[in-house]
Amino acid sequence: MSKPVVKLLLTLSLLCIIPSFLFALTGEEVIQKMDEMATFETSVSTGSIKTTDRFGTKISTFKAWARGASDSLIEFTSTAERGQKILRTQSSLYLFYPDAEELIRLQGAALRQSVLGSDLSYEDMTEEKNTLDSYTVVLEGSEIVNGHDCHVLTLTAKKRTVAYPVQKIWVDKQTYLVWKAEYSTAQKRLLKVMEVLSTVEVAGRTLPSETKIEDKMKRDSATWMTLDSLEVNVPLGANIFSLENLTW
Amino acid sequence: MTIKLPAVAFRNIFRNFRRSMLSAIAIAVSAMAIMALLALLEAMESDMATNLVSYYTGEVRIRHESFEQYERYNPLHLSLDMDEVLPLVEKQEGVRAATERINFPANLYLNGKNNAALGVGVDFASEEAFIDFPSLVKEGRLPTEGSNEMLIGALLARDLHLNLGDKVTVLTSTALRGSNAMTFQIVGIASFPVGGLNAKVLYVPLDRAQYLLRMEGQVQEILLLTEDGYKERDVAASVKELLQTELSLQTETKAWKDLNAMYSLLSIAKFIYYVMGAIFFLLGSTVIINTTMMVIYERMREIGTLGALGMQGKELTRLFLLEGSFISIIGSTLGTIAGLIIVFILSKVGLNFTEAMSGVDMEISSILYPQVNFFIALFVWVYAIIIASLSTLIPSRRASKIQIVEALRYV
Repeated sequence: MSKPVVKLLLTLSLLCIIPSFLFALTGEEVIQKMDEMATFETSVSTGSIKTTDRFGTKISTFKAWARGASDSLIEFTSTAERGQKILRTQSSLYLFYPDAEELIRLQGAALRQSVLGSDLSYEDMTEEKNTLDSYTVVLEGSEIVNGHDCHVLTLTAKKRTVAYPVQKIWVDKQTYLVWKAEYSTAQKRLLKVMEVLSTVEVAGRTLPSETKIEDKMKRDSATWMTLDSLEVNVPLGANIFSLENLTW
Repeated sequence: MTIKLPAVAFRNIFRNFRRSMLSAIAIAVSAMAIMALLALLEAMESDMATNLVSYYTGEVRIRHESFEQYERYNPLHLSLDMDEVLPLVEKQEGVRAATERINFPANLYLNGKNNAALGVGVDFASEEAFIDFPSLVKEGRLPTEGSNEMLIGALLARDLHLNLGDKVTVLTSTALRGSNAMTFQIVGIASFPVGGLNAKVLYVPLDRAQYLLRMEGQVQEILLLTEDGYKERDVAASVKELLQTELSLQTETKAWKDLNAMYSLLSIAKFIYYVMGAIFFLLGSTVIINTTMMVIYERMREIGTLGALGMQGKELTRLFLLEGSFISIIGSTLGTIAGLIIVFILSKVGLNFTEAMSGVDMEISSILYPQVNFFIALFVWVYAIIIASLSTLIPSRRASKIQIVEALRYV
């Protein structure tokens, strides 16, 4: 091979390799992008939670409002739990029951209780989208999940107050959607598995429209959370995430 | 040889009266202790039976056939249709009364904290035959149907600093496997005989419990009381069959004795106590054995003389056996009378186990009142006499084997 040809090949190889080094994302950047993609200024959605367990199948429907990374309000619309609400603000989580004269504030271990007997906990339903505040991230590599090229990341909790001490997540390299997640204890005991079954495009972002969650602590139990409609960046009342509004 | 053995044996007791009395007292203490123990056990058994029937299972309990299998998951949806089942079982032969209940785990939300309790939805009217609620209410009144009112155990109220008129939000899981909460006002504080009930139970009207738990028209269990002369197991079997035939409903319908392992254990314990009682008497009898042996050695010269005069070995054995038996009768009689007096006093003042039973989840009342039972008294009296008398047989038989020539050497 002549010298100029070798030079050309070397130059081309360098040109191919250098950008990948220059533009490779760190684990933190992937998580940041992931949170950004899942967060809207405001959103209003409707959906359902279908739970199957040893006793059969149960479907509950809800309407949810969210603002930024921290504030969310869920109101159940199905007959069995009509009018029940869950409010999450930056610091607290409150439950409203139509027949109770006071709000119930959940804290500590109570946040890990199941919502309506499903595989979802109150924390899962209303989780804050600022993952890096609570976890350190290690980018493990890449894997193909359901035909999507994904970053594989391991998140380890910085504080003991989080629901899942260790999370392993598969984040789409293109859309930053979490296709799959495994939630474990610090001793690597698997607690829950989440999998996105279908997606929806909203405001140029890809979001999960159907998600399956399995609580590995329960036998023969699985929950499907389906989003029927989602509107983003819609104007919301100023006090929609206040306690006054919750009891109104 | 014609001699009145019982008269001689009786007279011999007084030859060393103090020693005879010591033997009698040993028998008396054993009899008294066993008498008190059996009376206490009898009281525990009957108290447990009353409490189980009144507060827990009735004499017959009807539940959905799969409820027990999944009980740890609180499967309130495995329920009974009260409008279908109740009228049918009420008419069944041998059924005296019926009531319906829903037991549910309840969290009392107070000052930002959940406090675990056991909620029971009851129909206060039909409960009359089962629980005498009016006599248990210490303060206030019974909740009324259709109102968000509750009757709470006195210890639970005390522990949570709750008073009459206070409002409490009860958070629970529903039959639809969701959650729900409702605020109730405390209108009554009750003092239940069972410590466990006092410390953790609250009663609400059945219709409000059904609303809270999303169990419209449904109940978790139906409890029955049987007519006199009917066996609970027979009534349970006939009710189960009736529901199966008339409604094609498979149920778990059982008599209360088949539902309560603790009660069965108590019955086994009773047998063990009878065995322990026998050992107790044998220990007490060692004194009488010792006394008889000493008497035989002391009266060796007398035995030789009686033998030389023609008294048979069997008669000698009978003589000492009779002496021992008379001491046993005296001891047993004294012990049984003393036991009766103790039990009589305890039946008035009661035995307070409140502190000892705190934290123990047992269906026995905190204060027990052992009752004077003359059957037990007679049993203990006879039991003590037989065991103590048989004990004297061992040394008495020795008297018959003594050679006359050998005995006369003591002359």
